[in-house]
Amino acid sequence: MAKVQVLNVAVLDNPSPFGNPFQFEITFECMEDLPEDLEWKIIYVGSAESEEYDQTLDSVLVGPVPAGRHMFVFQADAPNTGLIPESDAVGVTVALITCTYNGQEFIRIGYYVNNEYTDPELRENPPVKPDYTQLQRNILASNPRVTRFHINWDGCSDKMEDSENVDPSPNSSSSSSMVPSSCLAGKALPVGLLSGNSMDCL
Amino acid sequence: MKLLKPSWVSHNGKPIFSVDIHPDGTKFATGGQGEDSGKVVIWNMAPVLREEDEKNVNIPKMLCQMDNHLACVNCVRWSNTGLYLASGGDDKLVMVWKRAAFIGPSTVFGSSSKLANVEQWRCVTILRNHTGDVMDVAWSPHDVWLASCSVDNTIVIWNARKFPEIVASLKGHTGLVKGLTWDPVGKYIASQADDHSLKVWRTMDWQQETNITKPFNECGGTTHVLRLSWSPDGQYLVSAHAMNNSGPTAQIIERDGWKTNMDFVGHRKAVTVVKFNPKIFKKKQRNGSSPKPSCPYCCCAVGSKDRSLSVWLTSLKRPLVVIHDLFDKSIMDISWTLNGLGILVCSMDGTVAYLNFSQDELGDPLNEDEKNAIHQNIYGKSLAITTEAQLSTTIIENPEMLKYQQERQRAEQVNHRMTHEAQAHKLTSVVNGESLEDIRKNLLKKQVETRTADGRRRITPLCIAQLDTGVSGATAQASSLNTTAMKSNLLLTTSTKMEPMKALDSRFTERSKVMPGVTISMAGLTPLDRVKDGGTLKELKDETSSDSEDKMVVVKSPSFTKRKALDVEKRKKGRPRKMDAKMMMPVSHQTFQQVRPATPSSEKEPCCVVAIPVAVLKLPTPTPQKAFTLQVSTEPPVYLEVENDVSAVSGAKLSQLRCSREGREWDTLLPSRVITAAGSSDVVAVACEDRMLSVFSACGRRLLPAILLPATMSALHCSGFYVMALTACTECTVSQSLLTQQGVPVIGLSNGKSYCFNSSLETWNLIADKQDSLVQCADFKNCISSQDAPVSQGPLALTQGHNLNAGRLASRLSSTPHHLQHGMTLVFLENQLASALTLRSSTEYHYWLLIYARFLVTEGSDYRLRELCKDLLGPVHKSAGSAWEPTTLVGGLRKRDLLRELLPVIGQNLHFQRLFTEYQDQLELLGNK
Repeated sequence: MAKVQVLNVAVLDNPSPFGNPFQFEITFECMEDLPEDLEWKIIYVGSAESEEYDQTLDSVLVGPVPAGRHMFVFQADAPNTGLIPESDAVGVTVALITCTYNGQEFIRIGYYVNNEYTDPELRENPPVKPDYTQLQRNILASNPRVTRFHINWDGCSDKMEDSENVDPSPNSSSSSSMVPSSCLAGKALPVGLLSGNSMDCL
Repeated sequence: MKLLKPSWVSHNGKPIFSVDIHPDGTKFATGGQGEDSGKVVIWNMAPVLREEDEKNVNIPKMLCQMDNHLACVNCVRWSNTGLYLASGGDDKLVMVWKRAAFIGPSTVFGSSSKLANVEQWRCVTILRNHTGDVMDVAWSPHDVWLASCSVDNTIVIWNARKFPEIVASLKGHTGLVKGLTWDPVGKYIASQADDHSLKVWRTMDWQQETNITKPFNECGGTTHVLRLSWSPDGQYLVSAHAMNNSGPTAQIIERDGWKTNMDFVGHRKAVTVVKFNPKIFKKKQRNGSSPKPSCPYCCCAVGSKDRSLSVWLTSLKRPLVVIHDLFDKSIMDISWTLNGLGILVCSMDGTVAYLNFSQDELGDPLNEDEKNAIHQNIYGKSLAITTEAQLSTTIIENPEMLKYQQERQRAEQVNHRMTHEAQAHKLTSVVNGESLEDIRKNLLKKQVETRTADGRRRITPLCIAQLDTGVSGATAQASSLNTTAMKSNLLLTTSTKMEPMKALDSRFTERSKVMPGVTISMAGLTPLDRVKDGGTLKELKDETSSDSEDKMVVVKSPSFTKRKALDVEKRKKGRPRKMDAKMMMPVSHQTFQQVRPATPSSEKEPCCVVAIPVAVLKLPTPTPQKAFTLQVSTEPPVYLEVENDVSAVSGAKLSQLRCSREGREWDTLLPSRVITAAGSSDVVAVACEDRMLSVFSACGRRLLPAILLPATMSALHCSGFYVMALTACTECTVSQSLLTQQGVPVIGLSNGKSYCFNSSLETWNLIADKQDSLVQCADFKNCISSQDAPVSQGPLALTQGHNLNAGRLASRLSSTPHHLQHGMTLVFLENQLASALTLRSSTEYHYWLLIYARFLVTEGSDYRLRELCKDLLGPVHKSAGSAWEPTTLVGGLRKRDLLRELLPVIGQNLHFQRLFTEYQDQLELLGNK
């Protein structure tokens, strides 16, 4: 069972201009004192078509985490517009908040994000080259999509779990987390990885 | 009989494998398959029982759902107290749930259902040990243990007071274990498995009591569960799936001899579950007819794969009722309400049925007292006395008792509350100083953010509540957040981006491929390994601790080194009985003398020569040495030096005794050869070849004229102002001899017995016997309070040492009638008390007195308890002829103080409230005088 349960995520400063930083106020509960920090990440999906355009907006360590209920605000800069395909700038995309413990992702919270021009004129006739200063970002805060993964919290449980929780791609561990995920090779996850996941989504 | 299928009790159509009604009857739990996980749901009972409640939208139906099990939940069981819920599932885990106080309704974040959890049940422990699916869990009577069985062929007994401690792992089944039931008396646990066997295990030693295979030989392993059940009177055990003449049955197994002569026949397919009604019934008495005493009977529900349910009374040959086609699939579990009139049944088809009987149909349920009377008749007293339910019906008769009981409850509650308050305080300190809303406004500015060495951001989260506390504020806030979040509605223009959304959907569920910032290193594992090692080390230490006790004994008394000399000639005579007889012989052979030298403080006291034991014991005598030195005391260091045959003046030989203490020396001369010497910080004694014993003060002053001993000296011991001289003349080897601080001589013989000298009776009293079967059978563990440190220091403990393995055999006594064990324990405890008294060891007397009193209180020994109190109180009015002494021991324990200490113990059992009151009053009267 997960030692950390996310109780709530409040989306702050929403809707807001595209260039504003993302702000999520995260409330979580921890069953017992965690020896390691939690690592939280905000990933902005630049294009639905390809993971290539995913951007990790920021990653923070959160700790120390004693048993109890905690909250913090996770603020991350707006996505680098240069990395977003022009055709995908306007419209619906996704922002993901992930949390990992000991390098294992145990929860993924996804929000639909709608980027729209506020000016009706621009809405009718969007410029070919997106004008990010005029775009408004609206996160569909009322409808989070939460996926929970079964991970090994102790680092010493039975072997079944261990094999299940190997680092997804071994060659990735050496690179820095600030690099956008688009540089990662390997599209499909090993099948075995998903088998143990417990999902709780709409 | 009324039948109801509440359609709202469902796991969205997924199978429900288990159902259990809470002991207070207000809610019930179901366990089964969830969406992608196991699911436990707690439901409100009221809408099942009353139609108007079902229609009332303000009355919640679902109270809480827990999706924490990773795979299907096979069993849910409430503890007898109702405080805990245990669940076991295909994820090999057993989870124990407890209701979190002070937490308001909340939803699972991100879950689709808008239904809030009305009650918050939190997983307090996860029990990991099984290597396969957990099929059944069961709480023992009084919630001492929790048992779980699994397809890994084992049963694990968990210490329910100290999760996740494992008490025992029962191995022996060779197939999947699919059902468990505790004997209501707590002596046995029974399990049924796919290996065509039903096994009964003893709770005393966790060994197999019996293995029943015959009725199961024809069975195929075809049922998902095999939930067997024990009757509430403990007399019958009924199995699930058994076969008789190739027809499926539920086998009845009698407790008496585990005979299998009867069965419940009639189901067309295998029986999956049997559940006894918790009540025992007697015939309903009709008005007018004379009340005839009728035999009480039990009631049992049987569910089967043939989708039908049958309810049986043990007084009838045919079932009371059979209900066919209740479900579309096999029945999986049955639970009775505590009043015995309602029954919930669940099925693989994902539905639940509720049956309600009237008393006319089942009979009059016996009340707890009557049920206890039956238990007492069959199994003795202890079980009945400790049931709280019975106590609650006893009327408290006097204010003192009421006060005491209330104080006790209050103390318990305070304990409970303290933890809550401490935590709630923390919450309010956060909330009061600034409202949570304020905090939230400034959280971003206020939260502590640092950079780690490698330049990464690190946020210290704001702790808003300790675990298990009043998170009410936070939850309220959480739910309010949901609503504010709702307000900021987003107008998704559905016309445009449907396709990309589908593409996006997959992103929600895939695990991030973004590499982790933290890599798992082996180093992370080492601390855990270390802990493990520590654990084993500790165990090793525990194992050797008994040895170290031994060493302590040796180290403490340097004079003991002498006993080695005695041991050399150890001859085992092994004639304990003869020994006993000799002990009782009159004081004729004065081979033993205790000398109390005159000391500055007690100069006038006559020298007390005690005598006896040992008719013809012959002890080895030390041969005179030319010279020897010994250290008699370490603090301050005192050395004795003896030189025999020193100077010959005209042929006469003299011996010299030298003593050095902190640099001050004295010496003296003796006419005969010194064979042994001993000393303490206060006196020095030497024994000479001519059977003369001389005693000197610390400064070398002769305290007594030489004493002629009746035999040659064997051993000498000094302690404080006491000297013990052991003379040769024994048959049995003395393996240990010592003088206690209080000057009571104690000898341990090689046959494992120890005696001490009772100066008032001038006899030797047996205080320890390794072979004493009474000691080994005594079982008083539950009377030892955790607050009392075990006494290992006193003379009694030293003598009995680690040989005091009281209760070692107790575990093998499962077949011994209760009253016999009760008696043995009583005798043992009384022996300990008397021995401690004779040894004048006040701390030990106090220790054993408390245990003794607790034992009497729990076992309900009225007369003994009364006599004990009477003895401790003594006569209220002083009379000249009274031999009663206010103090018991040299240690100065006042009897009435002891009584005052015992009263709270007595007050714990409401049965003794009159005794409690009586002595409480008298003590108060005396206190006022």
